[in-house]
Amino acid sequence: MTRSVWKGPFVDAYVLKKAEAARESGRKDVIKIWSRRSTILPQFVGLTFGVYNGKKHIPVNVSEDMIGQKFGEYSPTRTYYGHAADKKAKRK
Amino acid sequence: MARIAGVNIPSGKRVPIALTYITGIGPTKADEICEAVGIERSRRVNDLSDAEVLKVREYIDENLTVEGDLRREVQMNVKRLMDLGCYRGLRHRRNLPVRGQRTSTNARTRKGPAKAIAGKKK
Repeated sequence: MTRSVWKGPFVDAYVLKKAEAARESGRKDVIKIWSRRSTILPQFVGLTFGVYNGKKHIPVNVSEDMIGQKFGEYSPTRTYYGHAADKKAKRK
Repeated sequence: MARIAGVNIPSGKRVPIALTYITGIGPTKADEICEAVGIERSRRVNDLSDAEVLKVREYIDENLTVEGDLRREVQMNVKRLMDLGCYRGLRHRRNLPVRGQRTSTNARTRKGPAKAIAGKKK
């Protein structure tokens, strides 16, 4: 079920505040955020966010195509290097 | 034999059924086309007049994306996701289900035929 339009996009307030501050101070370093659930808004384009994946902040450079998606989409939370058996099979 | 939307040559079937042989046209779209062009649903392709076939062709050209164009559009959308580095793109890259389905079992459509794992039996 998609979100009702009348509510507008969901963004955690602190993300907005940090983004605003970063833009005013001239775009430079990574903005650390923990809010993976926030929507990427048009005014975030060009900024770099460090999106937390549970372990560290993954730098995400926001481009125009990303608008409307959530930050969490760009910061994978799982590590998977394949099964041990896969490696053996490759060696042969 | 009628040639509609390039390569497709549907046979002596009923018109709505024959139209679904075109990529991008399913039962619903096929019915819509028949209604818009004014062809009865029970008629068969081989007793359509040339003018009627032309009308169908024009309607599809104007209103729908089909065949190669549609495939290209879908491919472009997938490619966009892959280039973006987002989760959905990663899933496409690995050829795994994109919409959160389980992969422990099933997911054979995306993963292809099951691969035997050496030495799995006790």
